[in-house]
Amino acid sequence: MILTVTVNPTLDKFYWVEELPLRLEEPEETVLIRSEKSSTSAGGKGINVAVFLAAQGVETVAMGFLGGHTGQIVLQDLLARGVSGNFLWIPGETRVNVTVLARGKEYHPLLIHEAGTPVPPSAIPLFLKKFERMARDAEYVVLGGALAPGLPVDFYRILVEKASAYGVPTIVHAGGEAVTRALPARPFLVKPDVREELSFGDMPVRTTEEIIQAGRRALELGVGACLVSHRLTGDVLVSPEEGVCFLEADVPVTEFRNLVGSDDALVGGLLGRLLAGDSLCQAARYGMGAAVASAKVEEKLCLDPEAIAREMATVSVRQVEGR
Amino acid sequence: MKVRDLMRRDLTAVEVDTPVAQVIYLLHQSGLPSLPVVDEQGKVVGVVAERDLMRAILPGYVDMLVSTSFLPSLNQLSRKLQEIGGLPISQFMVRPVVSVRPEDSDLHVADLLIRKGLRQVPVIDERGRLLGTVRRIDVLEGLGKAR
Repeated sequence: MILTVTVNPTLDKFYWVEELPLRLEEPEETVLIRSEKSSTSAGGKGINVAVFLAAQGVETVAMGFLGGHTGQIVLQDLLARGVSGNFLWIPGETRVNVTVLARGKEYHPLLIHEAGTPVPPSAIPLFLKKFERMARDAEYVVLGGALAPGLPVDFYRILVEKASAYGVPTIVHAGGEAVTRALPARPFLVKPDVREELSFGDMPVRTTEEIIQAGRRALELGVGACLVSHRLTGDVLVSPEEGVCFLEADVPVTEFRNLVGSDDALVGGLLGRLLAGDSLCQAARYGMGAAVASAKVEEKLCLDPEAIAREMATVSVRQVEGR
Repeated sequence: MKVRDLMRRDLTAVEVDTPVAQVIYLLHQSGLPSLPVVDEQGKVVGVVAERDLMRAILPGYVDMLVSTSFLPSLNQLSRKLQEIGGLPISQFMVRPVVSVRPEDSDLHVADLLIRKGLRQVPVIDERGRLLGTVRRIDVLEGLGKAR
């Protein structure tokens, strides 16, 4: 069983439009954009990983905090996709994140993200108790996405420590302080989200050299492996056993139809192959194939194994300083 | 059809020491008619429904009356709820647990839900751990889709 944690889940709303004029030139100008198509789905990094794995036949349980009517929609969507849900209900409404995709420019999405509903202090010990009960039976734990308001900034560190106490490896798939504060707890793998700040803690990750340096620093802290995306089609994996793996997808960005969730398909694909016994580097290659396949479809995730297998042909791996 | 084809894999549950007030909150927020009560191993050890908590706050003498419509409320219910709000749910849960297994038939679970007057029943594994629940509407909807 794979346990995913999404403490700040979202109801993902997608709109496809002909054009996306973003500048208001005239005073009192109103811009009305009619969407050609829209879709709604449960979202959040951990949830997306759970949906991906469930579609591959992996038993998956999703945990986190849900609230209100949007929370009910998130849960119903998850259950319908074959994921077991074990959420703690809190006051307020689960957030809605909006993505607007202009035809022909889907690689430049407009994202509008809510902060999320605050988690009351009384809910935290209840969640931790529930998490411990679930984590002890998990093969892996995936902690994904932004922390909800009200949660301590070292919340992921606490969860990694609890999972480690039962010998369960953890993947931290998040950005900002949420992931850097978790490093001392020595998670199995970190996949920092560096899209907004292009930094991993106080380390810049703008170039491959900087990414390798940041990855090595994470390994020195005891992290098992570090996987960082750079540009839209490249990833760098740093691990003690396999050294540095450069993964590159030979795909023009103009073929991408929806980038949201592709990073989560990467983590889901990687984890699915780890469960099947692949090495970390080979699992990451499969994950990249899943990410590219997901980016090429309008749906958030590509769940078709044949499509993923086709995209793997576009992913090259160059391994240095490893076995 | 089997229970596994009809069940919801919603693992929302409460622990034996969860206070009554928190359980009421969860019942309301989740929209579920009842909640499984689990121990530290995730084993279902009881079930608590809205009906059980409502029963707990009603004064005992109502059983002797045909109707209470003539009686003033006197805030008895809210006072009683305040009284029990901090108590662990283990004092109000129903045991033994009526449950089903994933391999049980649709006929069995439907009969159980009606025969026992239940709106929902937990689905457990061979170790008694919660796998999900089946509500009456899940049976009806599942059977309808299968046609």
